[in-house]
Amino acid sequence: MADDELPSDSSLLVIIVDTNPNQRYITEDPKVLTGCLDAVIAFANSHLMQKSRNQLAVIGCHFHKSEYLYPSPGKPLDVRQIDGQYELFTLVEKTIKMRLVNLIKSQPQDEKPGESLLAGALAMALCFIARMRRESPPGLRTSSRILIVTGSSDTAAQYINYMNVFFTAQKQQVLIDVCSMDKHLSLLQQGCDITGGLYLKVPSLEGLLQYLLWVFLPDASERTKLVLPGRGRVDYRAACFCHRELLTIGYVCSVCLSGECCNNLPNSGYCCRMKPVLPGTGPASGIGKYKLSATCALLA
Amino acid sequence: MSESSRSKSSLNLNPAPTLQCKDLHEYLKSRSPQFLETLYNYPTICLAVYRELPELARHFVIRLLFVEQPVPQAVVTSWVSQTYAREQSKAGEALSELSVWQEAPIPGGMPGWMLAQSFKKNLKVALLGGGRPWSMSSSLEPDGKARDVAFLDAYALERWECVLHYMVGSAQTEGISADAVRILLHAGLMTRDAEDGSAVITRAGFQFLLLSTAKQVWLFLQHYLQTAERRSLSAAECLAFLYQLGFSTLGKDYSTEGMSNNMLVFLQHLREFGLVYQRKRKAGRFYPTRLALNIASVRDGPGALEAARSPGYIVVETNYRVYAYTQTALQVALLGLFTELVYRFPNLVVGVVTRESVRQALRGGITADQILHYLEQHAHPQMLKTETGGIRSTSLLPPTVVDQVRLWESERNRFTYTEGVVYNQFLSQADFVVLRDYAKQQGVLTWQSERARTMVVTRAGHDDVKKFWKRYSKTA
Repeated sequence: MADDELPSDSSLLVIIVDTNPNQRYITEDPKVLTGCLDAVIAFANSHLMQKSRNQLAVIGCHFHKSEYLYPSPGKPLDVRQIDGQYELFTLVEKTIKMRLVNLIKSQPQDEKPGESLLAGALAMALCFIARMRRESPPGLRTSSRILIVTGSSDTAAQYINYMNVFFTAQKQQVLIDVCSMDKHLSLLQQGCDITGGLYLKVPSLEGLLQYLLWVFLPDASERTKLVLPGRGRVDYRAACFCHRELLTIGYVCSVCLSGECCNNLPNSGYCCRMKPVLPGTGPASGIGKYKLSATCALLA
Repeated sequence: MSESSRSKSSLNLNPAPTLQCKDLHEYLKSRSPQFLETLYNYPTICLAVYRELPELARHFVIRLLFVEQPVPQAVVTSWVSQTYAREQSKAGEALSELSVWQEAPIPGGMPGWMLAQSFKKNLKVALLGGGRPWSMSSSLEPDGKARDVAFLDAYALERWECVLHYMVGSAQTEGISADAVRILLHAGLMTRDAEDGSAVITRAGFQFLLLSTAKQVWLFLQHYLQTAERRSLSAAECLAFLYQLGFSTLGKDYSTEGMSNNMLVFLQHLREFGLVYQRKRKAGRFYPTRLALNIASVRDGPGALEAARSPGYIVVETNYRVYAYTQTALQVALLGLFTELVYRFPNLVVGVVTRESVRQALRGGITADQILHYLEQHAHPQMLKTETGGIRSTSLLPPTVVDQVRLWESERNRFTYTEGVVYNQFLSQADFVVLRDYAKQQGVLTWQSERARTMVVTRAGHDDVKKFWKRYSKTA
């Protein structure tokens, strides 16, 4: 969706790394996380290597909060070169690792890890992009994209937040790319399709860096020139507002267009039809069975 | 039949050749493979070369970076979609020219590509770490009198303007060394006056002034490197150090510890041009300035780094009027090269871009691109903000002005010159027709007239046509 005709002067990439400890690949072998993190850092540095004006942000997404891993708020670390690595790359690596340790340490010990707050992290990324756009010097063409690297499984609990973020990104011409390390993620795939980004489920974690460099490193303008994995079929099922389940057929309110799987609405607060139905009149008027799609769910 | 060879070359006809500003790619291309091999031992150079590559070439390099054995050429071709085959071959050429990759056979007998060993190794070092630290990164205790970015910018600007002012012969001639003058003379930007031996600016010098600061610095340093070998400095070492500066952080101090004597001499020269700031010659630390940082991003054109340095001052209107908010004689003189100055106020100069004024500049060897680029690069912040009425334009200038200046340039290029050989005085019409048809078939015929029995064949096709004629006249 971003500007295809003109190659941009600089490109801003926001990487969202899912660090939730209950991802399957981490619970099986916690050491894999280090390898994956190294791959992500190497990928982030390769992005900065492309052009001198490229910008980068990395957001860590945990189950209790999301936080910027790079750039660190406040004064940047004072880093001196220790080996032949380019100073900026050393800074990126050090900052990310240090802040990630802080993030993981800050997790509440007594709580059971829940779902990763990916939708929140996406919103943070969009805010960051909006800020960078505002601050960029006039006349500079910037293209922005977000990459999500996650091993969490698909849940529809944050369905509405996701949809709001996706359509905002579409409007802001921000591409959303998703790299799934474990399961197929139909909801995030919808986001990729809506914003024109790419979705890839990595077949093996060993080659993670190669996959990242191959598919996600090229800019939007470069992608048209390359042979990249196809979009494939996108599962556009919407989640119902009452039980957050993906469904093919359901009820749609004709006023607020919220969709439900069943007729006895809990007082969810999403539908305009909050008042209980009068006894004996049956289902409220205007509710019929329709095929649901993401668009009408958003309008709600 | 007789042939009269008459070569027409466009080189002699153009009175003032346009100033060539090579970028890193072109500069390296003109050097020997051995020189490149030594250069690729520096991670900084590998990083710089990588950034200068075409985007598809960058994609190839990054995908081959972690592959240890040669990759079949057919596989590399399949990475790019068919419609962009031409761009792909260009990218491949660029990689071969700079010997970033080499052809390597694959056990099956197919031709393959492989990245040059030293390039691969050192690019990995720059990206992922390992290897030896760069020479200037020894640790330092905090500087008691640390300098901030604003100070460094002002310092760099002042030093560089000193060089520029010297070129246009402004009053401030102090503060420029004999070395710098020698480089300016060597580059042909200035020349010794025939009468009194003082240095005066040449036409190429004026074109030099129209370039962006980053390009000026880079061009200047290219000539410096050429003269460096005579001063027993190694060009490779200097270039590597330059790019080291280019990849450093602004407003941070670096140590001179462990630098060789040659490099310390080089550092002093850079200090003179404002690329680095050093409080004292023996301070043991230095601060790179924005001029040095821009070396690594010459190709990107004006933008973030450049814009922060000095705000633009030129407003161009659709009626060809140019308003320049400036007081310096240098900037007014530059504007006067291609505009007709109308008014002069204490802080404002108004000029008009006319056909005559532009043609005069073009006659002086300045190109339309240089003019437009100058106007664009120094555009007033207000110009950057104006919307071009929904028209997506690559330029900030009014489209009418851009088009017209280009038209004025192209109206001077009504002739195209090709070298060729004239064949005339054929004995019969049949002979002429046979030879002409043969030349046409080969695609080497430039011009022919049946009535005068005269034809012109390109230089390249001459031998072939001559041989054919000999064979033909023998059989006939």
